[in-house]
Parts: sequence; structure tokens; C-alpha cells
Amino acid sequence: MTKKFIGKRIVRNEDPQLLTGQAQFVDDVEIPGMLHAAFLRSDYAHARLLSIDVSKACQRPGVVAVFTAEDMGDDWQPGPPLVSPPPTAKDVIFNSRRQVPLVKDKIRHTGEAIAVVIAESRYIAEDAVDDILVELEPLEAVVDLERGLEAGSPLVHDDLESNLAAHLLQKKGDYETARQKADLVIKRRIVIGRGAAAAMENRGIVANWDAKSQHLTIWDTTQAPIPIRNGTAARLGLSEHQVRVIAPFIGGGFGPKMMMFYAEEMVIPWVSKELSRPIKWIEDRRENFYATTQERGQIHDVEIALSSDGYILGLKDVFLHDTGAYDPYGLTIPLNTQCHAMGGYDIKNFTTEVSVVFTNKTLVTPVRGAGRPQGIFIIERLLDIASRELGIDRIEIRKRNFIPPDAFPYEHKIIDQAFAPLILDSGNYLPVMEKALEMIGYEEFVKEEQPRLRSEGKYVGIGIAPFIESTGVGPYEGARVTVEASGKISVATGIGTQGQGHFTAFAQIVAEQVGVAVKDVRIVTGDTTEFHWGTGTFASRGAVVAGNAIHAASSIVRKKILELASKVLETPIDELELDDGLVRVADIPHKSISLGELALLANPLRGAVEPGTEPGLEATAYFGPNYGATAFGTHAMILEVDPETMMIKIKRYVTVEDCGTVLNPLILEGQIHGGVSMGIGNAYYEQLHFDENGQLLNASFADYLIPSATEMPRIEVGHIETRSSLNELGTKGVGEAGTIPVPALFAQAIENALYDHELEILEMPLSPNRLFEFLNEEKSR
Amino acid sequence: MKIEGEYTFDGPREDLWELVRDPEVLATCLPGTQSVQKMSDNEYAGEIKVRIGPISGTFSGQLFVTNEVPPVSCTLTVEGKGKVGFLKGIGNIDMIDQGESKTLMKYTGEVQIGGKVASVGQRLFDTVSKGMTKQGLDKLNGILQTRRTKN
Repeated sequence: MTKKFIGKRIVRNEDPQLLTGQAQFVDDVEIPGMLHAAFLRSDYAHARLLSIDVSKACQRPGVVAVFTAEDMGDDWQPGPPLVSPPPTAKDVIFNSRRQVPLVKDKIRHTGEAIAVVIAESRYIAEDAVDDILVELEPLEAVVDLERGLEAGSPLVHDDLESNLAAHLLQKKGDYETARQKADLVIKRRIVIGRGAAAAMENRGIVANWDAKSQHLTIWDTTQAPIPIRNGTAARLGLSEHQVRVIAPFIGGGFGPKMMMFYAEEMVIPWVSKELSRPIKWIEDRRENFYATTQERGQIHDVEIALSSDGYILGLKDVFLHDTGAYDPYGLTIPLNTQCHAMGGYDIKNFTTEVSVVFTNKTLVTPVRGAGRPQGIFIIERLLDIASRELGIDRIEIRKRNFIPPDAFPYEHKIIDQAFAPLILDSGNYLPVMEKALEMIGYEEFVKEEQPRLRSEGKYVGIGIAPFIESTGVGPYEGARVTVEASGKISVATGIGTQGQGHFTAFAQIVAEQVGVAVKDVRIVTGDTTEFHWGTGTFASRGAVVAGNAIHAASSIVRKKILELASKVLETPIDELELDDGLVRVADIPHKSISLGELALLANPLRGAVEPGTEPGLEATAYFGPNYGATAFGTHAMILEVDPETMMIKIKRYVTVEDCGTVLNPLILEGQIHGGVSMGIGNAYYEQLHFDENGQLLNASFADYLIPSATEMPRIEVGHIETRSSLNELGTKGVGEAGTIPVPALFAQAIENALYDHELEILEMPLSPNRLFEFLNEEKSR
Repeated sequence: MKIEGEYTFDGPREDLWELVRDPEVLATCLPGTQSVQKMSDNEYAGEIKVRIGPISGTFSGQLFVTNEVPPVSCTLTVEGKGKVGFLKGIGNIDMIDQGESKTLMKYTGEVQIGGKVASVGQRLFDTVSKGMTKQGLDKLNGILQTRRTKN
């Protein structure tokens, strides 16, 4: 059936509000009598807390209260374990240590909150923070992952025997036997550095405990409003219905806002209840560098076994993963790394072993990509090296190893981040790669343009990187769809929104079913009073899981509309059509009734209804897949390296995405553009540098470089649609896709550009400086 | 972070030593020093105002002199903290008599910084500390010459 709304380039419903500054963000919330919070944070990465003296701070005019861990009494509890270790994996070691509201005994990373000042203004609160006297005993910090696991290392958590947070070994087939049969075994160490999500909007929270109504309202920059509501109620001993959490417009989530409960999320609502006053805390940029979670730090010792004709016989990866000071998010990231290290390739023998390490650094939880870019980097790097060593073209070696289209669903026999067996539901990788090659003009570039540019002394390289992305994982989301008396549609879903275009893409799904204009569908996301079942916006799952729940609810509403209209118009359902907000008799177009009139008829104020009748044209439905849908794609790039400055210029950037059914190409392209931008940061600009004492040395945008408009290329996006078989819409996620292959692509393109050097890039992120160092190391060899 | 360097003074070693061990002289020489108090023969307490790029603030702390071999060498330990962070440093000073009223001072040290000075000022810290050292040593050399002229 041709679609009227799904798949159309429809401009976003939310844009007029956002672009004219009329959208509500957390910091826009103003409540009479509201007080402001500022946190005292540790300058040290590791230290024992000996004493705190807040007396001077309390005396400062305008200060209402100062709280420390002691003041919280029995309400002082660490955050909940957000993701438990996989119950289905064997012999997992997992030491759960969770972040605390305020430090009680020991500081475990710089920026950890020690005390909170509540004052009439943020200015006063900040000044009073400086009045607090803290006595600390600095301890040696755990910074390096390998040293952190050595005997005699200082301990992040004194009650553990070592800094090992977790250990997980997964095996598919038999790598050791495969290795013996190999013609070529390549072993490398690959190091991935840590970066920040650097969302445009930092975190923020406003909590308002109304003592008279015994009700708590929280505005929070969270990606998971419902779990925050439920957890807050539990922490404060309230009914879930006494707590309303609103996640309004949010200026970017990217994963860290899925982390819960941050210290501030535990402290601010508690303070509001203690003082019976509204309290606001808005994170500043420097706090964000310490107090908001980060990701990517891993060290991999990898090995790939190949036949002489380039077929992968097996892959082995033993790696360390930095979880920072605590591990509330379980093994999600390393599991994603394990599940993506095979890429889209038919690898029969795979051994993957991870040791997760506690360090005196900010917590690590998923950041857009969430372990997947590391996995893709590994396999794509190894294939590039294999291609050189075996003398097989880099495109050809990939073609030979792709999982063939008739092998789907393809089961990998290891478990994924949702603890489900890793099954790639659908895929057809070759056409996607071929389309990317065609779009970038690979043949012509390599044969004609590149030799010409090289003869002019230019260092221009081309890269091609295919990838897969597990998306749209469970457990479930839900939605309620209602036809209102105005004829407009109201929809509520539990997930939060951080710029994904939900108000439009979801509206298109509804419009398709109930035949109204997209602008006549009003979507509410992230308000627990509107909808209170669901988990959150993460793992590229909004359009898949919430999208299909909305589709399911809309389908039921469509049925209700048609059933009622059939009675009113005295016409069988199959002779009715639903369009332009009307139900019409197909061959007698003037015989019709509007959705608004039907909604009124479905909600009578007087008279009698048949027993069992449900009022209104409304339905609530839920969707949860058996396992996640796997999207895929290929990125291609042409870049030029300035051999003097090592600055790079991206000449062409092409992506071809297959995320199943495309809901709105305009929004999809926006997602890809943003993802690529983040990937470029991960590849060439963004790295957090810590010194040996755990001090973060570049906690500002002067030193931590995120790609700006000048670093961004024009991105050409191509689509191929391979529907997912796991849901009715056939959708797969795409939120993280733009980011995932970029580091692998950069490494390949840079090596290709610097063709007269023996360069092998085995770390990310790079920077002009790091590239310069590599070339110097090569010279000195 | 490592600090290392040398400086040639226009004066004899004994005179220089005397100046280095005089808290008032130290207070004058170190740029931004607001006060120095002698707590004991080997311990000084004081306050110093530092500006590193966008960060400025007052550090209060102590300076300890150990391993003293007058007028040849000593070890200096500094610990300071303030609203913008903390610093901790340890360094050795060697004074070598060059004859003809010239003294060569060699210094090596290791400085640890934390808090805002580290996270925001790190990139400039090296330049600033070198600049401050140079200014301080120039000033000290000036005082050395003035005193010699007076005597």
C-alpha cells in the first residue's frame, strides 16, 4: 500500500517553537519562591574525606541551607543498579558499585559532589560553596587501565580485592582451532581514548515538593522520565502517583542523560522535600566535564586469523574497558563492543574477553555509539591490514566476508546488550556498500583523480567503512492515542525527546492510520502524568519501539473510528475511507462524518450505552520486540591531509544507510548529519586528557575541541530499505548510525592519503598533533 | 609537570644564599605574592595571587626548606590551595660558584596541579610558571646587585 505520510519529507512540527525560542527547557522553569543549588565538588580524583565545616557558608546572607552526606541520614543511599549483569551469560564476575548522592567517606573522581548549598540565587550559592572548609587526605589515583589491575595498585573501592569491576568471556565456535588452520594471523593492540558527549544543553533539574498537596513535580533533563519517577518515589518513600517527572525539550541527550540517578537527581528532590521549597540546579559547562558521564576508553589486544584468499577464519579480542569510579550501567558498553567486533561479517569462530576496570575518573555510561564504534574500528582496521598483507583489494576482502543476504536471520551465538542472543534480523550489505562506492565515484577517483592529485603533490585519500548497528532493543514502550472532539489527535508516549523529531515522525505514523494532517497530531513525550509506562530513549530505539507502540495504538483507534462510522453512516466498513479528518463512503464522497463528530458520539453525556462500551475513540498499546533490529550502512570519504600542519580537509562525505522503513528522510538525514559530526569529533578532535593524578586537563571548549561548522563537510545521504521483520512498521534505529563507522573510516582514509608513509593507525581519537607524532616516530625508526 | 632551568646571578654565592633565605626578599621577588611569614627556620607560610589565562585566584600555603647545605643547595617543597584548585611542588636548587662574583643557579622540580587551574589552565600553566620564574629570578638578581652596591 502506498503511504501518504510515512516516508515523506515533512518539515518538523516542533521547529517553529524551537526556532523562535518558545520551547520550554528545564532552565525555563521559574516558580515563585524557588531556591538555587550549587555543589561543592572535589578537586582531587582520589582522597579520603576527613572533615567538612559548613558553618561559614551557612552564615553567608542569602544562604538557606547547606547539606552534606551526614545530613541526609538514612536517606543517603547509593543510586540503583541501572543495568544488572547478564543473567544468561556464564561465569560473569560483576562487582556492583554505584555512585552516591554526596561523598561520605572517600572521593573517587574529580568533580564528585561533596556538599550542596541552597541559596536565594545561584550567585550566592556559588560564593557560599567557596566558604566550605574541607579536609582531605589525597590518595594515589588509579588512572591507567593496565596499572589499575596490577597487584599493589591503589584501590578505588577499598572493600574489593582489586579494581576489577567485571569480567566476561564469550565464545562462538573455536578460535584456537581456526587459528591453526590460518595462512595469516594478525595481532595488534588498539587503543581508544575517552570523550565527552558535550550536549549543547547541560543537565538540569527543578524539583518542587508541594507540602499542601503532598506532591512532587520534577523537571529533569533525563532521557528516562518514567524510571526517574519510579526511583524517586521509592527513594523518598512516596507513592509513584505523588511524583510527576517532566522531561521537557532537551538540548541533546546522546546517552549520558539516560544514566540515572545522577547525584543531583538524588539530592535536589530530597532537598525540595526537606525544605518544602522549589529548588533549581543547572549544570555549568565545567561541571559537565566532571559530573556528566563519558565514554569510549578501551584497550584491545586483537588477533584475526585468515586464509590466504582473505576469508576470516576467526577473531579473538581480549580487552580492558574503563568504567570510571562506579559501574551502575552494568556491561552494556562492553557487550556492544563484543557484538560489533564481528561487524557484518560471517565470522564462525570468535572469542571475546573483557575486563572492566574501576578508575578514579568520571563514570562511563553509553555515549552515542555506546561501545559499537570500538567494535567496528577493530574489525575494519584488521581487514585493512589484512588487505595490505594479503594483497587483496580492501573492497574485495570485505565483499568476500559479508554475511550473505540469504543467511538472515543470522545468529551469532553470543549474547547482546539486552541479554538476548545476538541475532541479526535482516541485512543485505553488498548493495549498500556498492551504492556508497557509486555515490563517491570510487573507481574514477582511485584510477584517475587520485593519481592526478598525487602528481600535484597532494595527499588525498579515500576510505570506505561498512558497519552494522544493533538498535531498537526491548523491553517495551507504550502509547495512548485519542481522537479529540476537535477532530485533532492527541498522543502520549513514555519516552523522552532530546531533538529526534518525535513530534513529527510519531505524528506521521498516527496520521497514516487515522487519516488526519500531520500537524493535527499532538504528541506528548516525557511527562509521567500523561503516560507512565516505559523505559526511555536509548539504543536507537525511539522510532522502533515507541514508534511501533504508537502504530499499534493508532491501528486500534482506526478500527474504532471505522466501526462507529459504519454504524452512523449505515455503510459496511470496507466501503469506508479515512482521509482529511473525515470518514467517507468511498463511492458517495458527500456522505461523510468528521472525526470530531465521531469523537463526540463516542463520548455521550446523556442516554445509555451498550454494556461494556469503552468511551471515546482512544486506545493504549505496547510494543516490545523479541530482540533488537540490526541496521547497517556504509560511509565513504575523501579527505586531504596537509603534510605540514596535519590538518585535514574532508572533500566528500557519503553515507548510505539501511534502517528499514524510513519514516521521514528529512529527520533521518538530520540524525545522520549529527551522528557524523560526533564521529568526526571521535576520530580527529575530541579526547579527554587526564594526568597521572586523575586530573582532567582539558575541561573547557577552549581545549576540548568539538567539530564546528568549519570542520563539517557537506554530507550526502543515500538510503536503501531492508524492512525489519521484527515489527509491523519494518523500522530499525538510526540515531547512533552516523557516529559508529567514522573513526574506522578516518583511519583508512588518512593512511590512504599519506600513501608514501608506512602508517598504521591503531588508536583513536587522533589529532593533527598525534598524526604528526606518528609520522615522526616512523621517520626515527 | 616538570620545571627545569638555570640562571646566572651577578653576585657571590653567599650573598645570594642569604637573599634566598630571607622571607621578605622572597615576598618581593615572587610575582603576585601577597604575604610571606616565617613560621620557623625552615617553614614559611604565605599567600600568592596567580592568574593563568581565564583563571585567577589566591593560593594560600606553605613552603618548606629541607636538605639544606648552605650556601650550596636545598630542597623546596610548596603546598598551596585556593578556590581555583591546588598545587604541590617539590624542587631542588643548586648554586654553583662561577668566580668573579657570578653564581649559577640550577633548579629542577616537579609540580602537581589540580582543580580549575589544571582543568582549564593546564595549557597555559607551563608558560605562566616559566614567566613567573623568570620574573622572580630577574627581580632577585636586581636586589642582589642593589645590595652589593649599597654595601
